[in-house]
Amino acid sequence: MKILVINCGSSSIKYELFEMEDESVIAEGLIEKIGTESAIITYQATDKEELMKTAEILDHREGLNLVLRLLMDDKDGVIASKNEVAAVGHRVVHGGEFFSESAVITSEVRQAIRKTVDLAPLHNPPNLLGIAAAEQQLPDAIHVAVFDTAFHQTMPKHAYLYPLPYVLYTRHKIRRYGFHGTSHKYVSEQAALFIEKPLTELKIISAHIGNGASVTAIDHGISIDTSMGMTPLEGLMMGTRCGDIDPAIVPYVIAKEDLTLSEIQSMMNKHSGLLGVTGMSSDMREVTQAMEEGNEQAKLAIDMYLYKLRKTIGSYIAAMNGVDILLFTAGVGENSSYVRQEVCKELSFFGIELDQSKNNIRSKKTREISTPNSKVKVLVVPTYEELMIAREAKHLVDQQ
Amino acid sequence: MAEEIQQIAVIGGGTMGQGIAELCASKGYEVLLLEKTEELAQYAKGKIEQSLDKKLSKWGITTAEKKITLSRIVFTSNIELLRNADFVIESVVEDMSTKKAVFQICDELCREDVLFASNTSTLSLTEIAAVTNRPEKVVGLHFVYPVTKRPLVEVVRGLKTSEKTVADLRTLLTTLHLTGVEVFESPGFVTTRMIVLFINEATYILMEGVAEANEIDFAMKHGYHFAFGPFEMADRFGLNSVLAALERLYREFGDTKFRPAPLLKKMVRAGHLGIKTGEGFFKYDKDGNRL
Repeated sequence: MKILVINCGSSSIKYELFEMEDESVIAEGLIEKIGTESAIITYQATDKEELMKTAEILDHREGLNLVLRLLMDDKDGVIASKNEVAAVGHRVVHGGEFFSESAVITSEVRQAIRKTVDLAPLHNPPNLLGIAAAEQQLPDAIHVAVFDTAFHQTMPKHAYLYPLPYVLYTRHKIRRYGFHGTSHKYVSEQAALFIEKPLTELKIISAHIGNGASVTAIDHGISIDTSMGMTPLEGLMMGTRCGDIDPAIVPYVIAKEDLTLSEIQSMMNKHSGLLGVTGMSSDMREVTQAMEEGNEQAKLAIDMYLYKLRKTIGSYIAAMNGVDILLFTAGVGENSSYVRQEVCKELSFFGIELDQSKNNIRSKKTREISTPNSKVKVLVVPTYEELMIAREAKHLVDQQ
Repeated sequence: MAEEIQQIAVIGGGTMGQGIAELCASKGYEVLLLEKTEELAQYAKGKIEQSLDKKLSKWGITTAEKKITLSRIVFTSNIELLRNADFVIESVVEDMSTKKAVFQICDELCREDVLFASNTSTLSLTEIAAVTNRPEKVVGLHFVYPVTKRPLVEVVRGLKTSEKTVADLRTLLTTLHLTGVEVFESPGFVTTRMIVLFINEATYILMEGVAEANEIDFAMKHGYHFAFGPFEMADRFGLNSVLAALERLYREFGDTKFRPAPLLKKMVRAGHLGIKTGEGFFKYDKDGNRL
């Protein structure tokens, strides 16, 4: 069974075609700058050369049309007809309270996604565009929506509510939703497989740290708390996002700096975090390098970053009254041995012990980096959201 | 229609034209900013850069966003480039014969399906549209200053403006994150008519010695939640523009309530036009910050 996974941004489409018999990738690529005369298209069929070209692509429909033409191309194509694509897995950022799992897209599902546009104004509209375009191009395939928020719908009420007037929840659904759910779910499953224990017997803390970052407490396979909130701004210090701050700072800064609401939003989302503190870069690699070269502001930024991450992990150990696996994933989590080392160093009270040499090995595979004596297993698990979306789609197709 | 719009031509690079061009470019459109001369086009470029730098310093945009917004605008005096435009917004000086000349040129050069919008605040749209061969495709689009910070426009129908034109325009407004209030053709529409009266009355109050300019501004700003008091607002619009609008309303309605305050006239004659000359009711530095 072949499944196409697509992830639509406002002007981009990321796509990956899987053969689900062995979960192998048949082809993948990206279209950027949709809506312009010079959209950039990359296409890579497995075992073939990567293609790159520019063309006029004015909307997502044209974009997807092109993807399908590439997939069916006489020379570089990988399928003979559209009908080979049994299902399309769509990444949808926000599912609100409507979706606690992936769903086959029907008009009701579309309606519900539309209702959450207010909660994710930047992400859900392009996701909907992608769905409409794909349904038109592949009318016979089963279309499945996989939500970033769905995995966290298991959180108990005391974890997802904010101590604001309760009416704000009933009226506007203001609550914690959490993000990166597809990734947290995937890596927790991989971790259980890796240590050969059932997920339902484990307490896992999953640290998905990339440019955006969140930590999730997964108790017996279920998300019970996560650091991102109603929006992806809450929680950890990130590349350009501030994460948790005293909410009273917002009106204070607006008054002092004479800012508009959109300016302060942009400040907290795009000018804060590592970038805001260093004034130099949002990229952990660059900031780490600057720190090694003696840049004190870079050192401060990383210290703040690590401190917040460690505090959050500690709080989730408390939330679950223990932890069996601490895992790191995504760009920073998979690649920065320094971040992993420094976070774990001060968690020794909980019996976390890192094996320095294992931690320093670079690899693209799931691996254990704690010592045999460590009470808690520390793992690095590469995330693979596209594969998870394909698996979710396959699961729903099998059910039909 | 709006989905097919790629390039928006903004004619006139004054304060409003700059704001309209910056807004359209920041929302992803390719923009053609047309001025009478290359010097004026470059001047408008400098002002837009200044405006973007200000937003950057207030964390409103990133360096990349500044770069991409600027890269989407072509600053030129070459009217031939109008042939590629998908939509035209005219924002030249508020003078009927100038506007008519601009619309005639646009009508000659632009494709037949292209809609024209005029940012006029007090002139008759029907009269402007009449010089073109497409009066049904001409509509009023009156922006509020400062354009990039006020998400409101008045959508004005001329006598012949078609339903389809208004509907197409509405689609475009959504992509520009603007809300349109529909108004019928009438001098000053809603916003200009009310705001110039507000400024004029404040000037009379100042002349009568009831309160100082600073105090009047403070009272209205804090008592009624205005972003700027009447005098700072006038300084930002340009006192000559305020005066011109009042005189036109006075002429059109024949009602003495629009009679410009003598102090306003005197200040314009003295060349105290507001921010653009560094002095109006208050004084300003070259970046437009109040001293």
